This record gives sequence, C-alpha cells and structure tokens, in this order.
Amino acid sequence: MKKYLLACTAMFIGSTAMAEEIVIRMAAPDWGPTRFMQEHANETYSAPSGNDVTLEIDFIPWPNFFDRVNASLNSGEQRYQMIVSDSQWLGNFIEAGHFLRLNDYIEESDELQAIMADLHPALVAGYSTYPHVPADEIEALGGYSPEMNYYGFPQFPDNYFTYYRNDLFCDEGENAAFQETYGAELPCAPEAWETVTWDDWRNFGEFFTRAAGETLAGVELTEDFYGIAYQAGKPLDFSTMQINAFFWQWGGGIWDESNEPNAEVIGVVNSPENIAAFETYLSLLDYAPPIAQTGQMGIFEIQDLYMQGRIAAIIDWAALAGPVVDPSSSTVADVTSFGLMPGNILNGDLDRSANLGGQPFVLTTWNDEETIQEALDLVIWWLSEDTQIAAVQAGGQSGMMSVLNNPDYDSWAPWNAQFRQSLPWQRDLWHIPEMFEMLTQQQEEFDRAITGQISAEEALNAIAEFQDELLRDAGRLE
Amino acid sequence: MTSDMHLPPAFTTQRSARGILQWLNAPERRGPLLVAPAILTLFLVNILPLLWSFGLSFFNYRANRQAAPRFDGLDNYGDLLTDDRVWERFVTTGMIVAGSVGLQLIIGFGLALLFAKKFPLRRILLMLVLTPMMLSFVSVGIFFKLFYDPSLGLLSWIVGQFTGEPFAILATPAGAISAIVIADAWMWSPFVMLLVLAGLVSVPDYLYEAAHVDRASGWRRFRTITLPYVKGLILLALLFRTIETFKTFDLVYLITAGGPGSATETVAVYAYRLGFQNFRTSEASALAYLILFVVIVLTSLYLYLVNRRDAEAAS
Repeated sequence: MKKYLLACTAMFIGSTAMAEEIVIRMAAPDWGPTRFMQEHANETYSAPSGNDVTLEIDFIPWPNFFDRVNASLNSGEQRYQMIVSDSQWLGNFIEAGHFLRLNDYIEESDELQAIMADLHPALVAGYSTYPHVPADEIEALGGYSPEMNYYGFPQFPDNYFTYYRNDLFCDEGENAAFQETYGAELPCAPEAWETVTWDDWRNFGEFFTRAAGETLAGVELTEDFYGIAYQAGKPLDFSTMQINAFFWQWGGGIWDESNEPNAEVIGVVNSPENIAAFETYLSLLDYAPPIAQTGQMGIFEIQDLYMQGRIAAIIDWAALAGPVVDPSSSTVADVTSFGLMPGNILNGDLDRSANLGGQPFVLTTWNDEETIQEALDLVIWWLSEDTQIAAVQAGGQSGMMSVLNNPDYDSWAPWNAQFRQSLPWQRDLWHIPEMFEMLTQQQEEFDRAITGQISAEEALNAIAEFQDELLRDAGRLE
Repeated sequence: MTSDMHLPPAFTTQRSARGILQWLNAPERRGPLLVAPAILTLFLVNILPLLWSFGLSFFNYRANRQAAPRFDGLDNYGDLLTDDRVWERFVTTGMIVAGSVGLQLIIGFGLALLFAKKFPLRRILLMLVLTPMMLSFVSVGIFFKLFYDPSLGLLSWIVGQFTGEPFAILATPAGAISAIVIADAWMWSPFVMLLVLAGLVSVPDYLYEAAHVDRASGWRRFRTITLPYVKGLILLALLFRTIETFKTFDLVYLITAGGPGSATETVAVYAYRLGFQNFRTSEASALAYLILFVVIVLTSLYLYLVNRRDAEAAS
C-alpha cells in the first residue's frame, strides 16, 4: 500500500511538473459571441494535452478592430496566437505572411477533417479558402479536399434578415388599409416573409412612412415614422454589403476572384443587371429615415432607430438582434419578429442571394508547434457540438450542419430559422489584398449615388473603370 | 608612450566610480548630459521615424506585403502631384481651412472684444466659452455627428420647427463642408479669443484716454490703437489655426467619414486612407511630406509678414 501511494504521488508530481502554462491570446471584436467564447472557455475548457491552457481574448470595439489588428500585425509585435478576422481581410494578411495555412494540420487530424466536412460550404468558401473557392465547388468536392488552401474556421457566422414590428404588420386596421391600397396582406407571421419581394418591401415602405400627427395602428404619432431601412453608409463596407445582394439577385455580379485572370470587370460591374439592381436599391431609400440622404445609415444607426420605435422594418445582421429583443435597450423588444430578407424574382424563382457576414478565426504564423496544437485543440473545442449548441443558446449562430440540423435549432433564438434558411444563399465579397482599395473606392462612388450627386450608372462605370485598372496593374486581369 | 595618455585621468589611472562621476559632473559636461536623455528620446520617437518615412517616400513599399522596398526615385511625388484625386483633396482642405479659420478669427475677435470689458459673471462665462477647446476631438466629433443627425439631432429639430421637414445638413457637399467648418470653428474660436484677449488687455488705458480727449472716432481708436497691439497675436492665431486646420483629420473622419462621396475628404484623411486602408505606404509617406511642405510654406509666409511688420515698426 505504501509503495502504491508513493508511486501515485510521484506520478502526480511528475504530471504537474510536465504540464505547461500556455496562453492563447486572441484579438476579437467586443460583442456577445466573443464574450461568450471567453466566459465559456473559462468555465469549461480543459486542454486534452494536460497543459494549463488559457484563452485570453483582447476585446476590441468593432469600429476600431481593423486598425488595431492591422497595426499589431504590421508592427511585427507577434502579440496574438489567434485572430478573429473579417473574411475579406484573409488574402491581405495571408499574403503578408501573418495567417497560418492549415492544410497540414487538417490532414493530420481526423477531428479537424470532420469539422471541415461538417461546416456549411458557404462558410468554408467565405471564411477558410484562399485563393477563394466558391461554395458550389466545395460542395462538389464533398466539403473537404486537400486541393484547397484552408486558413480559418467560423468564430461567428452571420447573415442579415428582416426585423419587423409585428404590432404593425399584424394590426387589423393597418392590414385593412394596406389591403385596400395594395390589394395584398401585410406579412404578419415570420413564414409569410418567405414570399416577400423588393416590390412588396417598397409597398411596406410607402405605406408605413408617416409624418408626426398622423396615426399608426390607432395611435397618433408625435414624431415622423419611417417604413423601411437597410445599410446605406459610407464607413466600412456598409453600402456594399447590401448592394451586392441586389446585384446577385438581379442576375448581375461583382468581379469573380475565383476566375482570375479571365474574369472581366468592364461589362460585369457596370452590366445592365447591376445598374437596374442599384437603381432599385437607391429608389427604396426614399422610404428610409432621412439619415439615408447623408450616406451615414450604417448597421448601428438603423438598429438604434428601430429600437427607438421609429421604423416599421429593417434589414440587419443576426449579431445585432440581441439588443433589439432586450427590453432594457429596446422600446420594441416585445413586438419584434424576424423574417427572411426580401428577394427578387429571377427566371421565375425568388432569388435571395446575400453577402455573407460574420467572421472566421485564424491562427498566426509565429507560434511554436506546441502552441499551434493547443490553439487547434481550442478550435476543436469551439466547434464541438456541445460548445456550438451552448453558443447558439446564448444568442450566437453555428455553421456546423450537425447543429443547424438539430430539430431544436430554430427554437433557441427567434431569428434562428431565418439564419438557417438564408445560409445557402450567402456569397462573399473579394478576399484578395487589393480588396481594401476596391472597397474604399466603391464605397465612395456608392455614397455619391446615395447622396444624389451621380446616377447609379455613373457610379458603376466609375467603379468598373477603377477596378479594371487596379486589377490589371496587380496582374489579376489579362 | 601609451594610448592612455589621450584619455581623461578618470578613465585611465583612476578607474574608480567616484572619478567617473567627477568627470561627468564637470560644469562643461553637466548641461549636455542632462539634456541628452531628452534629445535621445526625441531622436528615437520623432526624428528617426521622420527620416525613415522620408526615405520610404522614395521607394515602392507596401506594409502589407513581404516584398522588399524597391527604389523608385521621385515617382511617388510625381504620381501624387499629377493625381486629380490629390488635388481635389487639397482644394477641399483649402475650402475648410478658409471657412473655418475665417470664422474662428471673426468669432474669436468678437468674443475677445466682449470679454475685454468688465461685466458681471465675466470669469464664469469666460471659462464656459473656453470649454470647447479643452474637449477631445472624439467627444466633439461624436457630439456634432449627433447634433447634425436628421432624425435625432437638435439642428434638424430646430430647422424642422420652421420648415416642417427634417434637415440633413450632411446630405450635400456644401452642407457637409459647412458642418465641418462649424464644428471646427466652435471648437477653436476660443483659442483665437484667448490670444486676442491677451493683446487687448495689454493696451494701456492712457492711449484710449488720450484718443478720447482728441475726440477720435471708435473706428479710428480701433485702427490706430487696438489693432497694432493685437496684430501680431492675430497673425499668430492665424498661423496656428491654419496649420492645425490644414491637418484636420479627427472631426472629418468622425462626422462625415469624408462623405458625401469624397466631398469633405481632407488631404490628411486621404493620406490615412492611402497608408492604412490601401496600404500604399510609400505614397502615403510622400503625401505626408507634401503636407509638411505646405505647412512649412505657410509658416515661412507668417514669419515674413511678422518680420516685415517689425521692420515697419522699427522704421
């Protein structure tokens, strides 16, 4: 017995002495999904290696996130082992040598291969592959293939959909008035939004836009009320995220990076389909709050106005839905429902293509093998079914098909059904390093059109000309 | 003969710590040694990056690429000076500088004239008027962004009382430039006031009394007594405010983000976009030096005017 106790003590001391303290520091936007990741890791994560691994997240406000991450990476301080990156930044930081190519590690790990195969192809396309591989090709390859270059995993997948006031859309008086004017019913239940088109959206906008003194659902308005709103802002990528959805839904498109150097810009970016789509987008701003006229109507501005009860329906990201249904921050928390984003009827079918949101998380290149393995174990933990279910139940989203197909998924948050249904429609912006210049110039031209300085056609011609020259200089166009 | 003979005794025959201290503490070395840490810090955090970025402006280099810098001579300067977008930004900056500095001088001078007189609560009001220039740019920027908001802002509400319509000042290029000018003038007019006020209170009372006895008009008193006393300070305010407004970044970035389109994008905001959004590091460095060149020209112009004034006074 004595010998047995001595052996146990020796083993305990030995194992304690061998366990290393490893800190995985991650730069992440300061919002719910990343806060949850930190809390949940603190509570539940223990490294399978036996090492004492701590996840330490640097929470950075989103408007400053790119600047901070960019400064950290380019300064060479090597502060972070992992980084939450917007999907469009991948190419830039990969080509600068900051983000780690993961193929060898995935090849060696059955768990990681299973994760890649289980992820929704739209998310693998947007969050992981560089050079970019479209979702349909990933689906054809069975989800995972060593032929592609993998860099990231979903930290928080996101897409946008409609937030609407069910007290207005379900009001009998308003419904009768709407029926009389437009000969159709207002979509009251979330399912009713499955057939809503942009023409219907225009009607909602026109119908619900009212001046102070008029009545709304039987109540006299003390302030002006607005029908509809979506992103129309110059900062970051606000306008682009919404306008791309119009391009794709109208059968147009953006420069196809997966087909360089053969993909064209002239005639694609300024195609008749894109011009018609952009004109429709601009015309719908007539029913938005007046901030739209200034080109400053970003995702936070419309969220604020909606929470103050000034708009009937908006289109915004899942990431911003939490405060909207929280009575401590929103005056319309109890009367908000969620529906799919409107679509356009293209070739007889309702097209709901949209620009993917959310962010992947990636590993950086300067870590030793042990740290890399620990970081990958954290990835496996985060994308495990139990953790993903906990994340979704806390208000997040999952990109794992096994979780999305859980029969209870839709019941975990009031917008989950919309997220799940719209996921197959997601496409992404460019991922190449030139993305920043393309985006900045594009946002500027969109802004000129939004503020009425130029027409949709003039804006798209200017964008096409700029992109053509830039991409030729970069050797991405023949 | 050994090489030790050329060294101070403290380092040769007597190598004690005391000897070194005595050598360092010699009156002719004490001064330079005391300022040496400050000079070294200034060199490391200011001069060295300045020289580094100046050198970089002659290369083709992007901070987001692994490629080594390639010498390009004056290409970056040539490209910038022939780029319409850069000239547009210089014109926009000029418009903002002219509008804002002009407004600051008018308001600052008016306030200084007001506060040069004695009246009840003068000190408290003076403190309140000085408050804007003590605030951070971020606070002022966010305050004015909300102030101009057409749905929630006070300005729109006030205009709406008369027109019945929301007022979106940031919706047009002219309106957005005016909005930046107003915000900048609100923040910095007190600075002009402070400088002019210093000149006004230094005017001896007996000069005004003598002018009163001579029955000089108010305009003549202002032109021949007040203005000569404050002229130098007005020029100083003009110089400081022109240079600062020329480099305006924060307010523009926060209030309009350079929009609508690029209507309010100053040359400083454009340099930021070139360097930190488009990663054209060398071009951004070159543009920063073009901005510096303009600032140096403005400073030289000011010094020329001051020297001419001094020469006139001497003659």
